[in-house]
Amino acid sequence: MSYAYLFKYIIIGDTGVGKSCLLLQFTDKRFQPVHDLTIGVEFGARMITIDSKQIKLQIWDTAGQEAFRSITRSYYRGAAGALLVYDITRRETFNHLTTWLDDARQHSNSNMVIMLIGNKSDLESRREVKKEEGEAFAREHGLVFMETSAKTAANVEEAFINTAKEIYEKIQEGVFDINNEANGIKIGPQHSPTNPSLPGAGGAGGSQGSGCC
Amino acid sequence: MDYFRSGLKSVLGPPPGNQPTGAETVERLVSRVSTSTLLEDRRDACRALRALSKKFRLEVGAQGMDVLRQVLELDRSDCEIVGYCLDTLCNITAKQTFEEEIDNAVNNVQLNVGEDFTETFVGEQFTEMFLKNPENVNLVLSFMEEYDFRVRWPAVKLMTSLILSKPKVVQDIILVSPMGVSKLMDLLLENREVIRNDALLLLINLTKSNANIQKIVAFENAFDRLFDVINDEGGTDGGIVVEDCFLLLLNLLRNNTSNIHFFKEGSYIQKLAPMFTLPPNLEEIGWSPQKVSNFHCMLLLVRTLVSPNNPAQVVAACQKAMRNTNLLEALTDILMAAGVPANILTETINTVGEVIRGNLTNQEYFSNVQAPSNPPRPVIVVLLMSMVNEKQPLTLRCAVLYCFQCYLFKNEIGQQTVVHTLLPSNEAVASVTTGQLLCSGLFGNDALSNWFSAVALSHCLVDNPAQKEQLLRVLVATKAGAQPFGLLQQCAVFLQRTARLQSKLGVLMLLAQWMAHSQQAVKVFLGVSGAMAFLTAQASASEYDDNEELLQGLCAFLMGLCVAFNDNSEPNYSKENLSQLIEKRVGIETYCRKLSEVSHHEVYALAAKQPQPRAKHSGDLLLEYEFCQLFKSMEGVIYQALGRQRDLFSGISELSLSEHENALLVQYKELIREQDKQIQELAANMGACKMRCKELEAQLDDLQETNKQLVDQNTLLRAQLAANSSNIAIQDRHLDLSSPPNDSENSDLLEKIRKLESDNATKAADLDRIRKDQDDLLELLTDQDVKLNSFKDRLKELGENVDDGESDNNSVESENS
Repeated sequence: MSYAYLFKYIIIGDTGVGKSCLLLQFTDKRFQPVHDLTIGVEFGARMITIDSKQIKLQIWDTAGQEAFRSITRSYYRGAAGALLVYDITRRETFNHLTTWLDDARQHSNSNMVIMLIGNKSDLESRREVKKEEGEAFAREHGLVFMETSAKTAANVEEAFINTAKEIYEKIQEGVFDINNEANGIKIGPQHSPTNPSLPGAGGAGGSQGSGCC
Repeated sequence: MDYFRSGLKSVLGPPPGNQPTGAETVERLVSRVSTSTLLEDRRDACRALRALSKKFRLEVGAQGMDVLRQVLELDRSDCEIVGYCLDTLCNITAKQTFEEEIDNAVNNVQLNVGEDFTETFVGEQFTEMFLKNPENVNLVLSFMEEYDFRVRWPAVKLMTSLILSKPKVVQDIILVSPMGVSKLMDLLLENREVIRNDALLLLINLTKSNANIQKIVAFENAFDRLFDVINDEGGTDGGIVVEDCFLLLLNLLRNNTSNIHFFKEGSYIQKLAPMFTLPPNLEEIGWSPQKVSNFHCMLLLVRTLVSPNNPAQVVAACQKAMRNTNLLEALTDILMAAGVPANILTETINTVGEVIRGNLTNQEYFSNVQAPSNPPRPVIVVLLMSMVNEKQPLTLRCAVLYCFQCYLFKNEIGQQTVVHTLLPSNEAVASVTTGQLLCSGLFGNDALSNWFSAVALSHCLVDNPAQKEQLLRVLVATKAGAQPFGLLQQCAVFLQRTARLQSKLGVLMLLAQWMAHSQQAVKVFLGVSGAMAFLTAQASASEYDDNEELLQGLCAFLMGLCVAFNDNSEPNYSKENLSQLIEKRVGIETYCRKLSEVSHHEVYALAAKQPQPRAKHSGDLLLEYEFCQLFKSMEGVIYQALGRQRDLFSGISELSLSEHENALLVQYKELIREQDKQIQELAANMGACKMRCKELEAQLDDLQETNKQLVDQNTLLRAQLAANSSNIAIQDRHLDLSSPPNDSENSDLLEKIRKLESDNATKAADLDRIRKDQDDLLELLTDQDVKLNSFKDRLKELGENVDDGESDNNSVESENS
């Protein structure tokens, strides 16, 4: 199971918005209607393909409860991508987005890609936050936006993959320092250092060397 | 603080003569640190305090703690003084007692009674004082970022000392300290080895039983860094640092499913696998004690990943990875290798067991491994030979049993294979088989072998009705030429004949596993003469010593199984007869007590805790995990079976009721039936009502929703309307106000303009006239001038001297030009 890149993600947002369910749907392709409260942080992983390259996603699903906030903050720095989730049927989870965003921006590295996700799109009848509002918030703060349903799996795959695409593009543009593991990006052990499409090809070789010994 | 001072006085007594006591010296130094204005002085005093902090720990701590803390804050730019302070704090908060301290205490021993108490707890007390303010921990954390060796190293040591004394408090503070764990993790990249190694110790203590910190440490790339350090230090041949790395890995993974998942997904099992490959010349160079320790840790690490306590899904994924990365292969190679130390071999057997447990592919792989003996034998056979060999160490024999249990766990094919080796067949069996080994062990002279074999054999029958039946076909001959007996009969006979408790319990567990859910086995057992009498005697015994209550309880349990899984084909021991036997001979209460004594026994609690059989002494092995599971699930079944028998029992007596009573009974029955019907109807009604209620609620919700929307719209519209009308009003008023004053003003202005214009015109006319006058006058003036000049000329001609300024000027001018 070799991979070209490894990205670290975190999932953040208020309690009960469906963070753990999103992860479960993405990694196991199943939905669990009754899910225990996440204690601290839980781990999940999956392989995806972008641009015909294998990319491994390591995802840390954080607890939304206020009590765990100081613990979950420790995970911002080392992540390349963040899924900021709210619940379209609960207005207050949308209202708290600014707090979450401030927190994330303050503790993460500046290049972290943040994807805004309005979850539970299957509950159209109980909707309290319009799709346009989510779009506007995302536009205003420079985020990518998507509405998903962890229950029906709608857009779940896309949310994770689009975030990865965004990170991948940033790597191609040379925005990320791929040799600094603190950015949440790792180059795969078997990744060819002479790949011409890669701007940081030389650096990639160096990191590979240190990974082998 | 007062507490310490008073303690101090009693420790030191009155100061003798001129010689300053330790306390006085410390006091002077402390006051110098706090009052001196020169950095050099403070530094010297701190250095002196550090030197005294071991011998006069109590004094330095009691008087100096606050001052030292101040220095850390105020003089933080001076690395030297910070270093001294950190060292001093490290000494006074240390958990261990220093030699110098003991010397000091011995000198003053004549005066103190409660001294031992203070000495032992002084470090912890000072730690507690220091930790009262969480900011202090953050302060020490911040010194980890200082590159200077004199600061960073003692900071690491101080933090380690704090954690050792008060792990929970420090863990909680670091957890909420921003980037606290990250700062500590960065220390693993330190190129000064002494700091890196101490940081490892720090992290080992920090990560103990705190899942949140463990996860953050793992998130901060701990696995990568630790494997880097292990490889830098020479892998399993490396020194104690390698062991420390493994200890930290163990801390991160033990009981932490999330981290185990991460470890597996991060392909770290791949990195672990090659380390298990033994070098070909190991037999010659031998195992160094450090290598044994390192290896032991690695085996524990593997077991942590596949521990039966972990969720099945995670275990299965790790087991698969271990097969695919050839880790399992490397482990079985170790089993076969020569010169492996006994404790490593034992632990490897346990590890192999857990790597294959419940995983068919791995179990199959294991069953096909051949030992390189002559002729080659399956490794399972070789292992079982050790299990039934009295001379082998107990832990090794336990490990083999565990490994064998793991091999059979959820492995019907494996169970079948073992039982198959016991069945009478036409094939000439050339070599020893597993079945033969177990049977000879089962009825041998060694009690422990009996127990091991019985338990091993019972695992062939767990949840496997087919093998329970097959095993009934097995015949054994105790002596050559004797009449062969069925295995179960043989067990029942052996049970009555042997005097050893361990053997009896082993056989009872085998029989219980065999007879549960198997009417055939029960039938065979009931056919053995004396078997039931033996059980009854044991179950009804009222006295016991030394774990005999277990024997009695197990016998009662077996009786219960005979009732629950009885097909009534033995007329003497039908369900009914047996339950009457229990009731009459044993008594229901005694019977229940016997059963509950088993499940309340500490041996039972210990065995039920984990699948691995553990024992310090051979006599400790009495009950076993799978049996405990069976006992737990069957206890209820037995009570139920006995209860039903009693009900039937009393049901028979219905016939003996008088006619009147019978009529009454029928009447009541009728009544109950009617009430039952009513209840059902009502329940149905209730259901319908509930449904209707729900519908109505939903409708109400909808209506409320629409209503709300309408109200919202209404208010919105009203607001709009209000806004519109007010707008119009404002505009109107604006127009009204602005036009009239403008008009009058305009006309005024126009008037003025007109007046000014006319004024202007008259003035212009005047100006013209004046100008014309001026021109005329000028003309006149020129004429006059001309005339004047002509008159002057004529006067000059006439010889009159005309003296005036003008001609003078002219002459000067002409001269100049």
